[in-house]
Amino acid sequence: MQLRDYVIRRLILLPFLIIGVSIIVFSLTRIAGSPIGVYLSHEMSAAEVAQLEERFHLNDPLWTQYFYWVKGVFQGDFGWSGVASAAVADVFPAKLAATMELSLFSAFVAVVLGLWLGTFAGSRRNQWQDHVTRVVAVSGASLPLFWFGILLLIVFWANLGWFPVGRSDADIWASINHPTGFYIIDAILAGSLTALWDAIWHLILPALTLGFGAVAIITRMMRSALVEELQQDYVDAARAKGLPERLVLRRHARRNALVPTVTVIGLTLAFLMQGAIAAEIIFRWPGLGRWMASAVVRGDQATIMTYVLFTSVLFLLTNLIVDIIYAKLDPRVRLGD
Amino acid sequence: MTSIETPTENPTRPAIARVQGLKVHFASKKGPVHAVDGVDFDIADGEMLGLVGETGCGKSVTGRAFLGLIPQPPARIAGGRILFRPRRREDTSEDTPEFRPCPTCKGADIVCATCNGSGYDTLDLLAVKPRTMRAIRGRRIAMIFQDPGKALNPILTIGDQLAEVFLQHASADLLADIGGTGDMGGLAAGAVGRAARQESGRLDGILSRVPPVRGHLRRLRAALEDRIAAALAETQISNPRRVIRSYPHELSGGMRQRVMIAQALACDPDLIIADEPTTALDVTIQAKIMELIKMLQEKRKTSVLYISHDLSLVRRTCDRVVVMYAGRVAEVGGVREVFAAPRHPYTRGLLDAIPRSGETRGVLASIPGTVPELVSPPPGCRFADRCVHVMPECTRVNPTLQPLTPDQSVSCFLAHPPAPGAAHKEPELQET
Repeated sequence: MQLRDYVIRRLILLPFLIIGVSIIVFSLTRIAGSPIGVYLSHEMSAAEVAQLEERFHLNDPLWTQYFYWVKGVFQGDFGWSGVASAAVADVFPAKLAATMELSLFSAFVAVVLGLWLGTFAGSRRNQWQDHVTRVVAVSGASLPLFWFGILLLIVFWANLGWFPVGRSDADIWASINHPTGFYIIDAILAGSLTALWDAIWHLILPALTLGFGAVAIITRMMRSALVEELQQDYVDAARAKGLPERLVLRRHARRNALVPTVTVIGLTLAFLMQGAIAAEIIFRWPGLGRWMASAVVRGDQATIMTYVLFTSVLFLLTNLIVDIIYAKLDPRVRLGD
Repeated sequence: MTSIETPTENPTRPAIARVQGLKVHFASKKGPVHAVDGVDFDIADGEMLGLVGETGCGKSVTGRAFLGLIPQPPARIAGGRILFRPRRREDTSEDTPEFRPCPTCKGADIVCATCNGSGYDTLDLLAVKPRTMRAIRGRRIAMIFQDPGKALNPILTIGDQLAEVFLQHASADLLADIGGTGDMGGLAAGAVGRAARQESGRLDGILSRVPPVRGHLRRLRAALEDRIAAALAETQISNPRRVIRSYPHELSGGMRQRVMIAQALACDPDLIIADEPTTALDVTIQAKIMELIKMLQEKRKTSVLYISHDLSLVRRTCDRVVVMYAGRVAEVGGVREVFAAPRHPYTRGLLDAIPRSGETRGVLASIPGTVPELVSPPPGCRFADRCVHVMPECTRVNPTLQPLTPDQSVSCFLAHPPAPGAAHKEPELQET
């Protein structure tokens, strides 16, 4: 099957998958109870509560409620977030930008560093460089993210005071425009080095917390894949042609080792979205994760539904991209079979 | 460096390579495994030499030692030399300083007796620098691997993989094909030159999009493809232009091995190491592949070290044969002599084990016993435990390879009884 046809087919399937996911999540959230809780206050009379229930169609059957929700989504109305005291659709873009800035930055660093470290260790198998890398990677994979984050917070914020928490310095943030919501990009667009430095300075600790585990997993996967590829006959055949060791590694072994590693990278990126919740809470990062955590605790169902809808789309798209890269890397992959 | 004298076994043909006392040990939990333990043989210029023996006798390791393809660790070259005398050729741009001219004729005399007119001194393949080894690999000595399905990179096209041989060793020819880089600007000449050597500079990605450079690179690729197609066509692959764009998994086993052969022969090497090139193939294709190798070898007068455990294929295709047993050479000689009158009991056993079409029924012959442990091998003959003619000396003294006739040598006391007092010499300790 042609790659293009495969992508089109997957994109056609995408909405159906999203509908499936949303039905499941909608039902599960409603099982947890009525969403009315976040809209109530102590001063309200029984009549007012009944009025609210009427307004949010909470007396209708579940499937009718679901269709009201879907109708809202199509009209750009994702409901009212009790946690944020604002319409979900109004708050979401800014929070999303904050989370994406953190996750994409971590993901980028994790992928580059992980692939590099994995190649470095795998091509020096059982030498001291490999052992050092292994210690780093095993710690990264086994330290719980929240614990590592708190550790960084205690050492570098509380004790040493080298790094700040939050997303920005309020004055510097207010000094520039924010057309994209990505602080680094906004700072570059505004041409402000102060703002750029402020953005990066705030980003380092949460990104380190979030990316450490991902680096570890990618490194380990890349290393073991590379070690395996280096034992293949085609590597010796490449050497027998007179290729320098650098090209044997780059053109032959590493490209083959990337094939299994790409799958792991895809999974790791999905895992980053999850990890962002803890990292955002620890470092007071004003993103989706922190919002989501409060929403779950307070039963803010409109927020939960939006978040889940978004992450499922993101997950499905990531999977599709992984499949495309996979097919690009390995000509033996037959998509769609 | 000692040069190769006229080999004793074959006075008419000078040697292109001489293996002397090669020892390769592999580290194991029980101690070093003496996988190759003092192997001597010559490869005459232009001959096809069979290297036979059962699995684990060290024949593959010996073959790989020529190209420095033994992983160290776990292996260790424990001794010996592999002397190789390159052939004379027009293009010497690949030669490193370690390629020295013949000490007698200084490379000038094409009838020089010392170097057989090659003009080169010998190189010890076990001692050359990595850069020299890279200049030898693919250009001077090429290798055909056992399983072409594994020896071809699954994610590169056949064209990409063959291109590498030319880019590594024939970049000057490629540039000549497109009329040289003389008329190009400095930047363009640099980028095109690097592309022809499979290198990349920092700005080459951008440079390759600039129109004049792009044109040169396109012509370079076309020249490269012509050479690849010609190399493939020589191995009787039909429609080479289509094969160039195929991936290994899209070809049959026989086709893949033809590609490997084309790759090995691409730069017209002096010597080809063919490590069981037909073992992984269907029986019906085996003969065709062997015929192809033989045909190309005769056409180009290339020397071939043909490693195999298939005695009948060796008998049909090779000029001479080296029989190895448990890391040592049991017998060397012309194929006709060895197959007609084997002098080592192991060779005799091997030949008896070949089923013949004339004899129906009966039990297949085999040699009783098993190959000895190679961790701490006994001091005597490796075959002593299984030999029906075993004598007291056999378990104490290792018989050395001695010539019987100009065409046949054997390491067995049956053929040449030990000299009195030989038992006191410990051949095992000579080189350690």
